[in-house]
Amino acid sequence: MFGFRPLPPGVRSRKRATRALFISHGSEGTPEGRSLALLRKWLSPSQREQFGRKSYFEVVGSDSGRRYRIHAGASVNVCEIDEKGCLQEGLCFMPIGALPIGDVMLAQKIALETCEREVRTVARRFTPNGFHFRQIRPLG
Amino acid sequence: MAIQIVMDRTGDSRHHFNSHDAQELAKAEQRFYELTKVGFTAAVRTGPGQVCQIRSFDPNAEETVFFPRLVGG
Repeated sequence: MFGFRPLPPGVRSRKRATRALFISHGSEGTPEGRSLALLRKWLSPSQREQFGRKSYFEVVGSDSGRRYRIHAGASVNVCEIDEKGCLQEGLCFMPIGALPIGDVMLAQKIALETCEREVRTVARRFTPNGFHFRQIRPLG
Repeated sequence: MAIQIVMDRTGDSRHHFNSHDAQELAKAEQRFYELTKVGFTAAVRTGPGQVCQIRSFDPNAEETVFFPRLVGG
């Protein structure tokens, strides 16, 4: 009635693949794209895989051995998790200056993996909920 | 060629230098201390996904990333 027809087999997956390709490569010239490329380069293979699949990756704190999840975002995006992967306390900290998302996340990774105690001293605490960590779009 | 990557609002600024050239090495060392003096943290990769903070210039570091001082949000 409205002229909608189902897409032929294969077209939808091609569209999805094209979109993914655009997101991963088309934005390399933008600050955000450049920062995400640098982040991916510095992640471990398992962190990279996790980031690509879930839009977050996990790191281990250098001093306590606690696990933290760094979600895609530039603030209110880090959360301590327990051994079952449940969200615990949220930590809000970031480098000064208006840095793109990938740079912020890489700085957070390096800081937690090398100077966790100092991070916990400067970070503002928050109680995490689903709203803080909702997935907006794939970045990994 | 070694590289120093300084995070900024454009993503990053990249400074390539030849670590076998004394003049370029001196310039890279100067940049390192200028940045760390104003609060930047310097880090290098020690393995896949493994990172390490450095507090003094490492002439053998292939890639060094600098990010600004951290603050609470």
